[in-house]
Amino acid sequence: MAKFFSQSELREMISRWLPPRKIPKRFRIHRDTTEFFRVEYDDVVFLGGKTYLIRHNAKEQRFGLEDEVKFWVKRAIDLTNGSLKILKLVFREKFVAKIGDIEFECLRSPRKEARILDLVADSHNFMHGFSVKDARGNLVRVLDFIKGDPLSLHIQRMDMDHETYFHQHFPQVLDHYMDCIRAIYFLHQHGEKHGDIRRDHILIDSDSGHYRWIDFDINYRHRENIYGYDLFGLGNVLVFLVGKGDLLLRDLKHEGHPALSRVNEDDLNMVFTNRVVNLKKIYPYVPDSLNRVLMHFSKGTTWFYENTAQLLEDLEELRNAA
Amino acid sequence: MTADKKLSNKYILIAVDESENARRAVSYVAELLGGVEGFEVTILHVIPLPEEDFFLTATEKGKWLSKYKVRIDAILEEYRQILIGAGFDPKYVSVRSPTRYCPSMAECILAERDEREYGTIVVGRQGLSRTEEFIFGSISSKIVTHARNCTVWVVE
Repeated sequence: MAKFFSQSELREMISRWLPPRKIPKRFRIHRDTTEFFRVEYDDVVFLGGKTYLIRHNAKEQRFGLEDEVKFWVKRAIDLTNGSLKILKLVFREKFVAKIGDIEFECLRSPRKEARILDLVADSHNFMHGFSVKDARGNLVRVLDFIKGDPLSLHIQRMDMDHETYFHQHFPQVLDHYMDCIRAIYFLHQHGEKHGDIRRDHILIDSDSGHYRWIDFDINYRHRENIYGYDLFGLGNVLVFLVGKGDLLLRDLKHEGHPALSRVNEDDLNMVFTNRVVNLKKIYPYVPDSLNRVLMHFSKGTTWFYENTAQLLEDLEELRNAA
Repeated sequence: MTADKKLSNKYILIAVDESENARRAVSYVAELLGGVEGFEVTILHVIPLPEEDFFLTATEKGKWLSKYKVRIDAILEEYRQILIGAGFDPKYVSVRSPTRYCPSMAECILAERDEREYGTIVVGRQGLSRTEEFIFGSISSKIVTHARNCTVWVVE
């Protein structure tokens, strides 16, 4: 039976981790996290015999928009040892995702994320944590806080021209990213999808330097190729990394880029047709072997990867040849 | 099953779902072979065991499966009647709706073929866009690519 602490006991526990001016006078205590909007800053949550002090709601960067507050994801302090945690409370969300004209059903599944957390506990390319039920049976995920930037931000912050980036930094970025692809391959081998592969769903752990996948609670209703959508995501991130960002037709037009006249429809992303995938046309020093991999994600491709192993094999071959 | 059947294209598997394309595949076989002796047809729908993540409880999943099976069995019977109506001997038209764990429907259909040794597989073309086919895959394309020791008809 979990012990529940009194207000004064809690204050004493918190005083070990926070300066006196930051310690609230009274705490609202939650054992049931169903109403996650009601779990707020300075509240205390009891979960599986442990006590967490809630800090901020997590935010997610949206392309071109203000950060979106994720009210079901809370930063927290584990009061037993002062470590920073992320508590993901249960938010059952079903939605129809759309890529281009293609619609497919998705949902957030705490169970899926909990399963994967158990599966990847020994892999340094994933976030780590465990799941625990609250008093109402909600499956809360308690995640280790990862200090570090999203991969997307890291790449965009590199203040240098593309050629310097490509020769001096991209090889290491690619090696790290290939570890991420291997990690996704590991999931697929175990019958799991990541479900939401995006450039900002890889955090670069500033302590270890490892690239780590986060946020794998989304499941999608797959069709024939169970991992096709994950693969599409992996390809998009790869193109982003090779290009040091998205290479948009709009920007090329704006700059009056000399290569623009050589770019045709087949050179664009198979879904996001404002993005150039045939990067060799813009950056001629991109090797053919790498560009060929990118082109499998283009509108003009005649062949798409059937599985993650095929993508990895192509990348390993070109890295070994380098 | 006799040794002859194992080698015969006359032992036909029509793999169907709830789509119009599947109905067209059934109608095609009915028009082409109705009244011709010597053919035996199985109409198959593999019920994919849904992922547990899509249901809150096992009971909910069980209910969904039962409803799905009732709906599919009605469709299979309707398709069976199309073939019988076209002149197939009812003795030689059967239906199957097994429930399977199916990460790939094409592989599940091909597993059925391997197990029962049909000589011909008939499927409807899904009419997917190229992008859709690349990202989400196509059952008919995969069957065409991976089928061995049998003939595949893809009906437009």
